[in-house]
Amino acid sequence: MHWSDALAIALAVGAGAAFLFGERALAAADDMRAIYWLAVGVVSLQAAVQIAKPGARA
Amino acid sequence: MARGAPSQAAIAGGYAWAVTVAPTVWEHGASIVAVGAALVGLVALLASAAGDRLWGGRGRFVALWVFVLASGLAWLSSPAALRPMRIDAPRGVVGMAGWALFALASAAPALGDRQEPGRVIEDAPLEARNRFARGDAAYPLAGAAVALALQLVGWRVASPERALLVRLVALAAGLAIVGASAEIALARHAPRATRAWRARVRSAGGALLLLAGLALAGVLFASRG
Repeated sequence: MHWSDALAIALAVGAGAAFLFGERALAAADDMRAIYWLAVGVVSLQAAVQIAKPGARA
Repeated sequence: MARGAPSQAAIAGGYAWAVTVAPTVWEHGASIVAVGAALVGLVALLASAAGDRLWGGRGRFVALWVFVLASGLAWLSSPAALRPMRIDAPRGVVGMAGWALFALASAAPALGDRQEPGRVIEDAPLEARNRFARGDAAYPLAGAAVALALQLVGWRVASPERALLVRLVALAAGLAIVGASAEIALARHAPRATRAWRARVRSAGGALLLLAGLALAGVLFASRG
């Protein structure tokens, strides 16, 4: 496995965890924390896909 | 079950039946006429899809009308279940949408038979641009597991609006995770010479920088308590 694949997988796993935290915060009506974690999840997922794609451009 | 137009109407009709007719007859005290009519309607709906090949379009037409009339009879036999206080607004809206979809799928199905089969040119199936290798199924499966885990959170929210928002966010996040995991799995088999790893990280530099900023902000907020 190429190291960039490992980094992409780690970022995707982190995105999943961030989405879970965000959803829990949203359910608990903690909106600021929810927005923070959901933003972390979206950015992590975006970074994971950009790193994994061999021909992608920024 | 037949594929195509009959199935479309059956799926939409099944949805409408499940949302509007089934809850009416499930309630305690529903009359035997209501229960029987609901079951007859369901059987007629299944027959309309399965029997299209046997009886043709006319048989399907009759079966669909039996379904509609039997559903109407089930409602008429349980008038108490149709009182405004017994039907909540979301169920009423999705029920109306279900019957509208059923009407549309019955009258104007999106998939019909070929109009002029002689003009259709059969060709070889299109080649997929990318294929999953043997071990790649683990990626979308892991993504699906995360999407499923997202669906397990937030089912005890008291406010309906917030509960709906939580479900919506969970659905969107799950779809994003599944899509990204599939993209990562497919990208593993793309030619490696296309871009060096430095170029890859550089292309993701904006997202990584933003992520670092968010992490820093999180640490600062956490330290403030």
